Amino acid sequence: MSGNALEVGTTLPPLTVQLTRADLVRYAGASGDFNPIHWSDRAATALGLPGVLAHGMLTMGVALRVVTDWIGDPTRVLSYSTRFTKPVVVPDDDAGAAVTFSGTVTAVDGDLATVTIDAVCADQKVLGATRVEVRHGG
Amino acid sequence: MPISEQHVGRRYPPTAPYEVSAAKIGEFARALGDDSSAYSGAAPIAPPTFVMVIAADAWSSLFDDAELELALRRVVHADQRFDYVRPLRAGDRVSAVLSIDKVRVRGEVDIIGVSVQVATVDGEPVCNASSTFYHSHEPAGAPA
Repeated sequence: MSGNALEVGTTLPPLTVQLTRADLVRYAGASGDFNPIHWSDRAATALGLPGVLAHGMLTMGVALRVVTDWIGDPTRVLSYSTRFTKPVVVPDDDAGAAVTFSGTVTAVDGDLATVTIDAVCADQKVLGATRVEVRHGG
Repeated sequence: MPISEQHVGRRYPPTAPYEVSAAKIGEFARALGDDSSAYSGAAPIAPPTFVMVIAADAWSSLFDDAELELALRRVVHADQRFDYVRPLRAGDRVSAVLSIDKVRVRGEVDIIGVSVQVATVDGEPVCNASSTFYHSHEPAGAPA
């Protein structure tokens, strides 16, 4: 983003990822979150869930790439918050679940900017009130 | 006594020290599909949400506190916030302290707000990770 004028309403390049069961297993191992609702249909349905769900923290982690890919330097992230509003159901097939992330600058205050991220899967917002505060430096 | 507003302010002992490794950073970045050069090389930093690896360890203090009568399978992670002081780096030795910030009992659901302060073992603050959990009560007559 260096050299770009930064103003409220600036949109960031969107990102679409296909989250598959393999991605969930990989995130389970990397994060240490082995809750079986993230890999076992049997465990998920026993709890009344519609199927195996992506870890909310996986969705949150991938969402931040919209901002860090854009600013380049992840150390510029000062705060990051979200609500897990809808689960991402990941079928056991090769395609998985497509989640599209987009970002818009919603506030600029001197050196600080706030980016609001939308995360959509199957036409539903899966994250809510997702905000990233960054030092944009210029 | 199940969890109630009386537990607000409870703080748990620090988690066992955790050493951030370049290998674990690389593994986590790959799990996010993130090939940023910041997460590899000789002196990598961790992706910002890597803090959850340490924070989740501190969550165990809460869920393992028998007095609160929480059942992990009835807990939903409702929201998450990170306030960063600085990034985690390979070689950092850190630990985390969980505090109960808020408890609201709304009918059959407990709304629990916690914060996890992550700091180096030398006391340098790294990040505050705050979360809200919804804990559903066991339905009457349901098997334990």
